Amino acid sequence: MNRARATVRSQAGAAALLVLAISLPSACSAGGPPSIVGKQSLRIGVKADQPGLGLRLPNGRFVGFDVDVARYVAAKLGVSPDHITFVPVTSLTRETALENGSVDMVFATYSITPERETKVAFGGPYYVAHQDTMVRRGETTIHNVHDLKGKRLCAVAGSDSWKRVTQELNIAATLVPATSYSQCVTMLLDHRVDAVSTDDLILAGFANREGPAVRIVNAPFSDERYGIGIKKGDVAACEAVNRAVTAMYLDGTAAALLHKWFGKTGLQLDTHVPQFEGCG
Amino acid sequence: MLATATPPAPHQRPRKWWPTAPIRRLGLQTTPGRIRALAAIAVLAIAGFYIVTNIAIGNARDGLRVIGHDAGPQVLATGDLYFALSDMDSQVANILLTGREHNPATRQQALNSYNQDRATADRAAMQAAELSANNPIDQATVRSVLDGLGRYELLAGRAMVLNEQANHPAGPPPGNVIAVYRQATNLMKLELLPPAYNLTLEGGATVRDAYVAKRAAVLSSRLWVALAGLAAIAVLAGLQFFVAVRFRRLVNPALALATLGLIALSPAAVRLLSGEAAQLQAAKTGGFDSILTMSRARAISNSLHADESRFLLDPGQADAYRLAYLDKSQTVLYVKSGNLSQYYTGLSAAMKAYPRTVSFLGFYGDEARAHPGPAVAAVLSRFQQFQADDQRIRRLASAGDTRQATMLLTGRTAGSSGYDFDQYDKAVRSLIGLHRGTFDHAIGTGDRELGRSILGNWAALLPLAALGAVILVVVGVRPRLKEYR
Repeated sequence: MNRARATVRSQAGAAALLVLAISLPSACSAGGPPSIVGKQSLRIGVKADQPGLGLRLPNGRFVGFDVDVARYVAAKLGVSPDHITFVPVTSLTRETALENGSVDMVFATYSITPERETKVAFGGPYYVAHQDTMVRRGETTIHNVHDLKGKRLCAVAGSDSWKRVTQELNIAATLVPATSYSQCVTMLLDHRVDAVSTDDLILAGFANREGPAVRIVNAPFSDERYGIGIKKGDVAACEAVNRAVTAMYLDGTAAALLHKWFGKTGLQLDTHVPQFEGCG
Repeated sequence: MLATATPPAPHQRPRKWWPTAPIRRLGLQTTPGRIRALAAIAVLAIAGFYIVTNIAIGNARDGLRVIGHDAGPQVLATGDLYFALSDMDSQVANILLTGREHNPATRQQALNSYNQDRATADRAAMQAAELSANNPIDQATVRSVLDGLGRYELLAGRAMVLNEQANHPAGPPPGNVIAVYRQATNLMKLELLPPAYNLTLEGGATVRDAYVAKRAAVLSSRLWVALAGLAAIAVLAGLQFFVAVRFRRLVNPALALATLGLIALSPAAVRLLSGEAAQLQAAKTGGFDSILTMSRARAISNSLHADESRFLLDPGQADAYRLAYLDKSQTVLYVKSGNLSQYYTGLSAAMKAYPRTVSFLGFYGDEARAHPGPAVAAVLSRFQQFQADDQRIRRLASAGDTRQATMLLTGRTAGSSGYDFDQYDKAVRSLIGLHRGTFDHAIGTGDRELGRSILGNWAALLPLAALGAVILVVVGVRPRLKEYR
């Protein structure tokens, strides 16, 4: 009996040892915000007034390259088209919409910049556009970005395009504020500005719509990497959308969509998978 | 206690709450039946402990394999591939820029670097292809990079021949040379570098996924291993107790030995798993994360250095190259700035405040916060020197002195930008080497611990120990059962 009790005691000892062994400090699980990966439905921010990229039709439907890419990526994340809610965003509201969670992702001609990366995370880029300049048909003095010196340039709030001209390249253009590129185009036609300078894809969409009234000078001077805006810290989502973008280029969807939306614009379209920004 | 307990009335059999018929069918009302049942439960408990522990160790082994032997090395190989490709284009730009005014030694050095890069790219691509043997998409990507490299070499070769014929002074070559170089560098930028960089990132993502999943599995499996061990010990002790009481023996040596074996083995297995989780963490956060960050920083740095050359080489694209240079500089080390001259100022201010405060972001911001020390400080001061050179080069260029700007850029002797960039790159490489050491050590320790236990290899020990315990149970109860024959 004594021996048996000794066994019991040694059992208790072993148990204590084991409990001690497991209760060693176990590091906390992966930090960061909850991921949008695995969500059943998604709210996606797109532009509402950029023909070819993100445009809201009178019936409320959204159409454009960004919208199609968003659908493709959402499908790869397991979300069917009828579980996507498209939410209109502007250049000014993109960061806040992601930060306050009113949208899960942003596909809105959203150039990846180091400055923006301090506030949001970027998957992709899913395309690399180039900044160019659009003028009225009759304009003969503007041939490249340096000719904007002394001219009236449309400056959209929240957009970086005008900063590229007046800050980064230090070209002394006169800035005329606007809230969107569709407003800029109206102002261009009304002679309230002399030029609109932004990504060639955006300009091509408007040029397509306005026809012979406007002209793109065709002197691109930057690489604008269109990223997929995600809440900062959601590394899993960033990795998942990068895999989706890779698949989109490999299976030919990217080339098909580029030709569908910009095939007639005369732009040189690049159908190779872009160099990703990287997650986290 | 026993003395004061009220003894039950002898003629009154207590009613049992469980149905007695099935128990009778199993023969549990007899002593040999009970011994047999307890022995069977003990064997099952030992098997359970073996299975749970084996799965847990399998998770640790999988984690080490992916991080230490598959995706981890893949990241290094594709990082080397990117760097070699990017540097080839950089060397071509330098050769085209210097024209006839080169110091023959400098030109030969550039050509040697070009050829070396070519060999490195081949080797790294082979290695990357080998490491992605089970991933057809990655393999196709590597193959397409190698195909593109052949086309790139043709274009670069043609540009260099045309350049030789042009026999121009230092500075931008004639238009026909620039036109061919543009084709080459666009091919590099659009078709070769992106897949190489994305492979590196994909390797990083694979490592992260494996780390999160496997480390969590290893940590939580410790509880199951401990519980399974405790259960087996308890059943063995119960059997021992039962046999001791029934047969008036103090101890059954075989059963005692089996129990002692499990008492030794269970905590050792739990300790092993804790150790493996710690090594996974050390390899990932102490080594791998920084290797990935610094490899990316090194790749982007090489590319921005080349943008400096291209800025001088191709005046038609100078704006684009200047903007790309600023973007890439900010990716590597971010200080708030609207243009390059603000960047130079912001960088100096940030470096003055360092190491008191890390006021900058980007790759080096992450690294300086995660692993402060002399190695990262060396990288930062070299980077600052390189940026100071850049400022001089651009000042010369905007004053129209492209020749001097080119000499400063392409020189390889002390005081030239080329020299300072080499020093900077060396500092980055030695920082990567430092983290590589941490990484290799953690993976090596993890591997060794798995392969080693007090009694030998865990892979061999665990099944042997489980089998031994089962045999001991059989050996322990068989003589007792014989007494009933």
